[in-house]
Amino acid sequence: MARILWVGALALATAIAQAGEPVPSTDYAWPNLTDFLKQLVGKVGPPVKVYKLSMDRDGKVDLWIQDQAHPDLIDSYEYDHGKVEGPIPIKFEHYPSVAALDHHVIELTTIDFPRLPDMLATARAKLGLPDGRVVLIELERGDSSGFISLTDSPIWTFHLDSARHDGRVEFTLGGKVLDVDKD
Amino acid sequence: MSTRTDGRSAFVLGLLCALQAVAAEGPVAPAHPLDDPAALKAAFAARIARPVNVLAFTFGEHYAEALVQDAAASDEFDVFEAAPGQPMAEGKPKKAGEVDCKKKIPFAQLDLATGAHLLVQARAIAAANGYTVPENVLLGADIFCNQFGWRALLTSEANSDTMLEISWTPDGASPKARQLKDGDWVKLDMKTLAAGTAKPPAAAPKAEQKVIAGDGRARDFLRGIDADLARIEAQVGAPLGFRHISIDASQLAVDVFRPDNRKKVATWLVDAENGGIRLWREDETMMLDCNKPFAASDFPLAQLPALIAGAPALIPPMAQASIKNVAIYRSGFCGKPHVFIQIEDDRGYGNVEYDQRGKLVSAEIQ
Repeated sequence: MARILWVGALALATAIAQAGEPVPSTDYAWPNLTDFLKQLVGKVGPPVKVYKLSMDRDGKVDLWIQDQAHPDLIDSYEYDHGKVEGPIPIKFEHYPSVAALDHHVIELTTIDFPRLPDMLATARAKLGLPDGRVVLIELERGDSSGFISLTDSPIWTFHLDSARHDGRVEFTLGGKVLDVDKD
Repeated sequence: MSTRTDGRSAFVLGLLCALQAVAAEGPVAPAHPLDDPAALKAAFAARIARPVNVLAFTFGEHYAEALVQDAAASDEFDVFEAAPGQPMAEGKPKKAGEVDCKKKIPFAQLDLATGAHLLVQARAIAAANGYTVPENVLLGADIFCNQFGWRALLTSEANSDTMLEISWTPDGASPKARQLKDGDWVKLDMKTLAAGTAKPPAAAPKAEQKVIAGDGRARDFLRGIDADLARIEAQVGAPLGFRHISIDASQLAVDVFRPDNRKKVATWLVDAENGGIRLWREDETMMLDCNKPFAASDFPLAQLPALIAGAPALIPPMAQASIKNVAIYRSGFCGKPHVFIQIEDDRGYGNVEYDQRGKLVSAEIQ
């Protein structure tokens, strides 16, 4: 079952990598997540439980996952131009308990990667920055800045900038906008 | 076609090319901006080429800079710079989030002749009172975003802790002055400044640090501190009354109550590289702190190296950890002196605590 879900996740990630339409020069060079996740699963095997995912301006990916052999530990895997590096041990000032880690992680199979380009377009529209450049795209469980809540749910955060503005838009996993902040 | 005619054509063509190049490069700032502020303002106006408000303007003979807001787009800010005799570059966009204060005046109200006059005035005041001659005057809001106007900041080479600020309204009226003295701003009368009787206060004499050269031998404090505590005791001239001892890879730091005045705590440092000792600082004790000294016999000094070495093994997942630091101080609210050891590996930190007899109190991952 886990393998079937994993194949589905990989197919979703593939949809981003294969988006073949010409993109404007200001658009974001999406990292090849299909290749990354394929290499990663080759190393660690399914399931992949994501503590945190970030993609920087240059398309470099940093993925923190729970070590399934030692579920009290988090490892980082970095992906840059086709090369995977890891595991890199993650050091916490105060190490979370296994229960806290189990709660925090997000199953890779629940992440709808093909939504990301649409979410980026939405973020640009919401911020009024049609040429907004990606500074960082992050996914981690937490509380949205937009309202007081203790939902502690997975949140995509798109950090964009332009020559004149910085902005941030938060989304649910399903792509619903939670918060927009621009200065 | 004669050679002479060819030469004229070449001259005219060259002139046209030069003019075109200047037009492409932007308006040229005057060679002496303080002598020709109108020309400088005209150069800025030509470069900006649209209605703007001025939020800040820096004006000196070597450099001028304007932070402007587009009058038609209140969240668009640009910075324009001018250097004497040089073509002005296009403005550089400034992020709206980086502009903290939006106080401004319309560009038309920018009075650079007044700015030039105020700079001369500020320089005269600096010379009369022994301050460093300022490079420029600034138009803009104060740091609290309250008063908008011109200001000059005068510093002193003799005393880096003091400063003199002179401020005027945008039209150069209502001069005010204040001096930073002992960390506080004190208002000054402009007549006092004109008379040259507002000299910078003398710099407080810097306390000489007591430094005792070491034996040049590198030491590992995790393997023992007895000998170095004895060296500090020799400097203090009395048995050490400790408040806090801390050890890391680079130094041993010891807080001891002064034997002649228990309300003062001296911090002695011993360098791990060469054993050099220095009296780093002396502080007054705080009323709510634990000010009860402990002696070398009140904690397991002789066992200390073994306690430290054995700490990582007490937290099995961190058995290969290294020692980050060790501290000895009274536990809880002025209890017995305990030994606190922090260990570190590539995953995180752990804490081990021993009591005054060297008995384990706790060992856990942080």
